[in-house]
Amino acid sequence: MAEVRLDGLIKYYDDVLAVDDVNLTIKDGDFVALLGPSGCGKTTTLNLIAGLIDLSDGEIWIGDRDVTDLDPKDRDIAMVFQNYALYPTKTVYNNLAFPLQMRKTPKNAIDERVRKTAEMLSITHLLDRLPRELSGGQQQRVALGRALVRNPRAFLMDEPLSNLDAKLRVQMRAELKRFHQTLNATMIYVTHDQLEAMTMADNIAVMSDGRVQQYGPPEEIFYDPANLFVAGFIGSPAMNFLHGEISTENGVTSVKGDPGWVYPLTPANAQKASHCTSGRIIIGARPANLILSREEHPGMIPGSVYTVEPTGDTTFVHITIGDQIYVAITDPFFRAEPDDPIWVDLEDDRIHIFDEATEEVLREDGLNSQSIHGKKTLQPA
Amino acid sequence: MAVSAPQQATGQVATRNRREPKNVFQRAYRQWADYTYIMPALLAMFFVIAYPIAYTIYLSFYSTPTAGENVWNGLTNYTSIITAERFWMITQNTMYWTIVSTILAFIIGTAAALVAQREFIGRGLVRGIFLIPWVISHVATAYIWVWIFHSDYGLVSGMLMDLGIISSPLVILDSTTWAMPALILVNVWKDFPFIMIMMLAGLQTVPEHLLRAAKIDGASTWAQFRHVTLPHLKGVIIITLLLTIVMNLNHFTLPWIMTGGGPASSTHIWITEVYALAFRSLRFGIASAFSVILFIIMMSMAYFYVKAMTAGDDRRR
Amino acid sequence: MASNATSVEERRERARRRKPKRQIRMSDVLAWFTLILLLLFSLVPMAWMLSTSLKTQFAALQLPPEWIPSNITFEHYIRLLSPGSEVGQEFLRYFWNSIFVSTMTTLAAVAIAVPAGYAFSKFRFPGRQGFFIAVLIRNMFPAIVFLIPLFIMMRTFGLIDTHLALIITYLTFGLPLAIWLLKGFYDNIPTELEYAARIDGASRFQAFIRIIMPLSTPGIIATAIYAFIIAWNEYVYALTFLSSRNLLTLPVGLQRFFDEFVTNWPGLMAASFVMSIPVVIIFLVLQRFFIQALTEGAVKS
Repeated sequence: MAEVRLDGLIKYYDDVLAVDDVNLTIKDGDFVALLGPSGCGKTTTLNLIAGLIDLSDGEIWIGDRDVTDLDPKDRDIAMVFQNYALYPTKTVYNNLAFPLQMRKTPKNAIDERVRKTAEMLSITHLLDRLPRELSGGQQQRVALGRALVRNPRAFLMDEPLSNLDAKLRVQMRAELKRFHQTLNATMIYVTHDQLEAMTMADNIAVMSDGRVQQYGPPEEIFYDPANLFVAGFIGSPAMNFLHGEISTENGVTSVKGDPGWVYPLTPANAQKASHCTSGRIIIGARPANLILSREEHPGMIPGSVYTVEPTGDTTFVHITIGDQIYVAITDPFFRAEPDDPIWVDLEDDRIHIFDEATEEVLREDGLNSQSIHGKKTLQPA
Repeated sequence: MAVSAPQQATGQVATRNRREPKNVFQRAYRQWADYTYIMPALLAMFFVIAYPIAYTIYLSFYSTPTAGENVWNGLTNYTSIITAERFWMITQNTMYWTIVSTILAFIIGTAAALVAQREFIGRGLVRGIFLIPWVISHVATAYIWVWIFHSDYGLVSGMLMDLGIISSPLVILDSTTWAMPALILVNVWKDFPFIMIMMLAGLQTVPEHLLRAAKIDGASTWAQFRHVTLPHLKGVIIITLLLTIVMNLNHFTLPWIMTGGGPASSTHIWITEVYALAFRSLRFGIASAFSVILFIIMMSMAYFYVKAMTAGDDRRR
Repeated sequence: MASNATSVEERRERARRRKPKRQIRMSDVLAWFTLILLLLFSLVPMAWMLSTSLKTQFAALQLPPEWIPSNITFEHYIRLLSPGSEVGQEFLRYFWNSIFVSTMTTLAAVAIAVPAGYAFSKFRFPGRQGFFIAVLIRNMFPAIVFLIPLFIMMRTFGLIDTHLALIITYLTFGLPLAIWLLKGFYDNIPTELEYAARIDGASRFQAFIRIIMPLSTPGIIATAIYAFIIAWNEYVYALTFLSSRNLLTLPVGLQRFFDEFVTNWPGLMAASFVMSIPVVIIFLVLQRFFIQALTEGAVKS
C-alpha cells in the first residue's frame, strides 16, 4: 500500500476543462471519497490516476514513484467499475485469475490466490459460472474480487455500489468498510452519494467544476463547510440559505432579510459577518437547526406553512418566507394546516455565515484555511 | 507533502501546458500506436481509391490511341461527350432506370419490412426467403430472368399464351419498349431485400412506448405508422434512399448480361456506356472523362450521404 | 360488477378458462396478403430455375411451360459435378477458383477491418474524422468507375490475369461497410472492459486481442459473410482482369458456358443453382448475425 499524491492535475477534452488544477494527497491506508455531482470531474480524476486517459498537465505519484507517464498496467493499482466490467466470455474463476495471469504468476499460486479471494467474498460456489449467469450483487462481488486478488498499491473504485438495489447497497457498504479496515488499503472511491462518502470515508474531497472544493474528514465537511457549494451539497434535506443585508444599530448587528424580516446576530456571528466585504451575507441553517413557533416572538422570522410531511420519526415542515420555501425538521407530533402563520428561530451556534459575493464561509478570525481552491496540495485537516 | 509555495493567480495555472503539445503533428506522433490499427486499411484504400481517382482524372485529359503515346488534348474528351446526342439519350435511360427502380424497390422493400417485423411463426424463415434474391449473384439472376423472359420458351411468354392472352410469343428483352421495364423488374427483385434489412433495422429502433402512447391517444394502425414510425425513421429512409439510388446508378451486370445495352441502345445506362467505351472500343481517355463526370455526380450525393451518416456519430459523443 | 350469485372461486375459474379474444383486423388481412404476394415474388424465379434444371433439354423447350417436370433428370448436375467429363472438369475448376479467391478475400478483409473498426470506435486521434469520411465515400462509388485505372495499374504491376489482383480489389469493395459494421459493434462494447484489462496488467494491444476480440465474434462473422458473398458474386472485375480459362471464377465461367451452349437452358440453370447454393446456405445459417450487426451498427442513432 502506498500514498497517492496528485499534483496540479489538469485535463482538457478538446476545449473543455474537465479537471482544473486538482491537488490532493491520499495518505497511505486512507479511504478517500471523491464526492460531487455528475460532471464535476471526479471520474475523470480517477481515470487520470489509473492512467486510462492522458492528462494535460500535472504529476501523479504513487508511493515514491512518479507514475505520470506509465501505462495503467505498470502503475500497480486495482480498479472496480460502476458497470463491473467483468469479462463476459470468461468464467468467474478466469475473471479473478486474469490479473494474475497477466503478471505471469505461477499456476498454482494463481489457484491459491483465486480460491482464497473467492472464499473471503463467499463466491466459491460461483467460480465456474459466466458473468451473465450472476445476479447484480454477485457480479459486484466478483468485480471486487478481481481487485482484491492481488496486492495493489491502491484501490480505485468508480461508483461500485450505484447499480445495486438499496438494501444490498447498505450491506455492501458495511462490507467494503470492513475490507478497508482489515486490509489497511489505500482506497480512492468516487461517488455522487453523500451517504456512501460520509459512512465509509476517512476523508472526503468534495468536487465541483473540476476543482476540489473542500478536503477533510466527514464531520468537518458536514459541520464546517468551507463554502456555499459544500454547504448546499452535503446534508439531506439540504441546508437553508437566507439572504440579507448586514446592519448595525445601537451596537447590535442584525441581518435584514430580503422579504423584510430582521434577525439579530449573536456577538460571535456578528464577528464573522464583520469580515464580509460586500455588506450582504447568506445565513446557512440546516433543517434541524430551525426552531418553529406558533406565536410571534421578537427576533424571529415570520413565515407561513407550505406543507407538512411526516416521515415517521421526524416531520419535515416546508415554510414559505418571502418567495422562498425552506425546510425545518421537527418532532413527529407537529401539526399545522397550509398557510398557518409560523415564526422561525435559528440555533445561533449552529448556523453558518457566507459572504454573498464570494460564497466563501466567514469565520471569526477571518481566515478560511479550508477553501483554498486547490492552490496548494490539500492535506486532510 | 504539501507544496508550500503558494502559487500565483489561477489564470497562470492553465498556461503551463507541457503535456499537451498544441501541434497536430506532435499529437499524431504521440498517438502513433493508434494508427497501426488503421494503417492496413489506409494502405489498401490508398492503392485502390486515391491512386485510381488521380489516374482517372489524369487520363481524362488525354487522347489514348491504342498504339503509341498518350496525347494531351485538354477538354476535348469532355466536350465531345457532352455535345453528343447519344450522351443525353443515355442520361435519359439512366434516369428512367434509377428513379423507377428506386421508387419500386423502396415501396416493396418497406412493405416487406413491415410484414417481416410482425410476430408470427416462421418469421425467421420468411426473412431468410426474402433475402435470397439479394444474396445470389447478379450473373445467376440475369440468366434466370433471361430464361423467364425468353420469347419462344420463356415462362412469361408461355404462361400468357397458355392463358390465351396473347397468340404469338411475346418479345420482351428484344423490344425497345419492354426491355427497360423488364430490367427494372429484375433490378427491383434483386434489391428490395436490401431496403427491407435497412428498414427492419430502423423499425427496431422505434421506441415501443411511443407507439403505446399513440395507441392510448386513439391512433389507428395507420395513424401510428404515419405519426410515430415514419418521423422516427426519417434518417434511415434518407440513407437507404441515397444508397439505393447510388446502387442503381452503378448496376452494371444486369443490363450488360441481359441486353448488353440493346436493343438499339435503349437499355444502355451511364455505367454500361463507360465500360463499352473502355473495354470494347478501348478509348480509355474518353471513358475516363466520362468516369470523372460520374465522379462529380456521385460526389455531390456522397456529400449528403456523409452528412446524414456522421450527424448521429457526433451527437452521440 | 360481479353478480352476487357467483362466488369468487367460480369467477376465478371462469377467468382462468377465458381465452383472449381473437379479432381479425383489416391490417392483419392486408399484412398476410402482402406476405403471400412477396413470397411468390421472391420464390417464383428461384422455383423456375430449379424446375428447369431438372428437365431434359427437350422438355425445357415445351409449351406450355411445365412447373413440375414429368420426368425428372439429374443429368445436368451429374455432368457439372463429375470430374471425368470435360464440362465437369471446367466447372469444378471455376468453383475451386471462386472458393480460393473468396476465402482469401474474407480472411484479409477480417484481418484489416477488425483493428480499423475498433480504432474508429474507441480512439480519438487527429484525422480520424477524415479517414472515416474517406471510408464512407468509398462506399458511394461504383466499382466500375475504378475499373479503368485499376486495370491499367494492375497491368503496370503485372498482376493482370492473376487471382491476387481480384483479391486486392474485392478487399477494398468490402472494407468500408465491414469497418462500419464492426465500428457499430465496438461502440456497444463498454470501454470499461478495455480499461479493466489494462488495469489488470494488459497492454492496450493485449486487451484488444484477449478481451475485446472474442466479444466481437458476431460482428466478425457478419463481416466475413459480407466479404465472402461480395467476392463470390463479383463479375465485372473478374471479367476484365482474368483472361486465362483456368483462372476464371464462377460468374465469368457461367457466362462462358452460356456463350458456348447457348440453347442448353437446363444446364445453365443447374450451374446457376449450384453456384447459388454456397452463399444461400452460408447466409441462411448466419443471417441472424448479419441482421444483428446491421441493426446495432449501421442504422443506430
